[in-house]
Amino acid sequence: MDYVLTVLLPQLLHGLVFGAALGLLALGLTVIFGLLGVMNFAHGELYMLGAYAGIAVIGVAHSFWVALIAAPILVGLVAAVTEMTTLRPIYRREPLYGLILTFGLALVFREGARQIWGGDMRRVLPPFTGSTPLLGMTYPNYRLFLLAASSLILFALWLFFTRTRAGVVVRAAVQDAEMLDGLGVDVRRVFTLTFAASGALAALAGLLLAPIFTVYPQMGVEMILLAFIVVILGGMGSMGGSVVAAFIIGVAQSLFSLWMNPQRVAIAIFGIMIVVLIVRPRGLFGREGVLE
Amino acid sequence: MRRTTWLVVLAALTVTGGAMTAPALSQSKVVKIGDLGSKVGVFEGYGKYQTMFMQMAVEELNAKGGVLGHKIEMISEDDETKPAPAVRKAEKLILQDDVKLLVGAVSSGATMAVMDVTKKHKTIHWNAVSCAEFMRTTKFHKYYFSNQPDSRMQANGLAKYIVDKMGKKVYIFYTDYAMGQSDGRQFKTALEKIGGEIVGVAGAPLDTKDFSPWFGAINQANPDVLFLAFAGTDSLRLMTQLHSFGMTKKYKLAGIDCFLLQQDLPAIAEPMEGFVQLAHYSAYNPDKQMAAFNERFKKKFGVDGNIMAGAYDGVLFWAAAAEKAKTFDADKVEAALEGMCVDNTHIGRQCIRKEDHQVVMDMHLYQVKGGKNLPIARLEGKDTIGSPMVGKDPVEGFTWEIKKKN
Repeated sequence: MDYVLTVLLPQLLHGLVFGAALGLLALGLTVIFGLLGVMNFAHGELYMLGAYAGIAVIGVAHSFWVALIAAPILVGLVAAVTEMTTLRPIYRREPLYGLILTFGLALVFREGARQIWGGDMRRVLPPFTGSTPLLGMTYPNYRLFLLAASSLILFALWLFFTRTRAGVVVRAAVQDAEMLDGLGVDVRRVFTLTFAASGALAALAGLLLAPIFTVYPQMGVEMILLAFIVVILGGMGSMGGSVVAAFIIGVAQSLFSLWMNPQRVAIAIFGIMIVVLIVRPRGLFGREGVLE
Repeated sequence: MRRTTWLVVLAALTVTGGAMTAPALSQSKVVKIGDLGSKVGVFEGYGKYQTMFMQMAVEELNAKGGVLGHKIEMISEDDETKPAPAVRKAEKLILQDDVKLLVGAVSSGATMAVMDVTKKHKTIHWNAVSCAEFMRTTKFHKYYFSNQPDSRMQANGLAKYIVDKMGKKVYIFYTDYAMGQSDGRQFKTALEKIGGEIVGVAGAPLDTKDFSPWFGAINQANPDVLFLAFAGTDSLRLMTQLHSFGMTKKYKLAGIDCFLLQQDLPAIAEPMEGFVQLAHYSAYNPDKQMAAFNERFKKKFGVDGNIMAGAYDGVLFWAAAAEKAKTFDADKVEAALEGMCVDNTHIGRQCIRKEDHQVVMDMHLYQVKGGKNLPIARLEGKDTIGSPMVGKDPVEGFTWEIKKKN
């Protein structure tokens, strides 16, 4: 029992906390994949920009909470402009164009951030400190907040996608944009707004995780690999699948750390992905036709 | 008229030529020394203080007329805490700036890489903070000197106190590169030799952002003592995170001498309370020599001194050796340094051991109380330094394998 409380439970919580934040990042990535048909390589950089935008807002407003609202809006605007000026002209071209373009955008964003804010690591102080005794263990308050906030946002997104007309339109665009266009929906607007929202979501994840991981220009590169694994594992283009896979990866990564050095846990994560892809080549919740 | 013009030109040339030769003469009486270390990033605090301590030594020596009638000029370079830039900057300092002494680097990996450069270009090399065990053993060369207690010295001194006073079951958590691996290895060896039990070992990469994935394994091992071999901003993050998970109260904590600088302690006084380490200096040591030295440093820079004071001694030893040898020639200065003693170092009289060029340094065990490193016991240098092992493998037969005790 002591083992469960002092060892397993905290690790499980670490996994859930990380999985929830990873879910926010992966959800935007999978939605954009559904729209563009390619992985958005610049998604990690939008996550990074969210953290830097947060630092900039905190510098002016002196409030983490204001930054939590303002930073995603700022990054969402950057994403919208990026979509309109760079991605829109190549929608009807081969997916390879999108792949190369987003790869280039990632470099531009990353090096741009390095030019503006420098290459040094920056800290974002959590809005509150302290720890909470929980079932005989001690757990930091900010991490509990991170779990609650991320879970709430994911739940709100689920409600949005299933209960609102706008959500249904986005899902329809992800599945068949041409058909939606034929039905008279302004698909270009849907694309821009969805890309902006996806960027805002990545920015939100970036700022929420900043007090734990700190902020530096490369931070997006390190996270995006895991987000890619989550999207592949959950099923390319499957929103629910991404969220489930994010929690699986988060918890697996955390529990594996008990038996192997966390530095080498990535091997086990790739192992999970390989096994899932052998058993279910479309991922856990993948649908027919995607990537085929 | 033509002759007058020529005379004017000749006079002008004489005047300007004279003006140009005057500074050239004064420049020939300058001797340069190099300060190489991390000026940004995870170890930037150590690099910045290395510069300050060297600057203090240079100014004090210059005020007394310099060395061999030469004014000392210090050139500082940032090695980015990486071996490749460290090598490039060391070559620049030696080949371009012609430094006669190179102090640095900060990270063990960078210092070992720089040792190849100082060996190749026959330059006196002083290490004031890197502690990997290879530097005075397999990597040793005749131009290399150090007053930093290396991993072996620290482990010899600290292990006994931990087993006697803190607990026998120890978990070693180290930063997974040259310095941390060395500290982990030497501490494991020393602790097992005197009957301690290692219940777990784990390494985290340099500049790790989130240490929480390692905490489960530590809790699983349930040690009495958590031995931490980290430095700089890694230590800051680790202690903050350990504290937020309640682990600083659950386990007794010990670590290496460069875990954190004195300046960092007040900000995380609560997590660090009770932390034990072995070091050669503390601004809060009532020892007369240390207190007087700290007063001078504080007067100059407005802050307390710290363990980077070893860099001050490096300049002092080199200057004394050059005066003794009556030359800056590296071979002759090296010969003069072997076995040399200097009275006015940051902790008083210190001597260099001839065999491995290590300063036999008396140290103290310190415990953090209220954000201050306070001495709890004194250890003599001869009891911790260990036998010379030049050319011998200091990790021969070592294994990270954990021996289970019943």
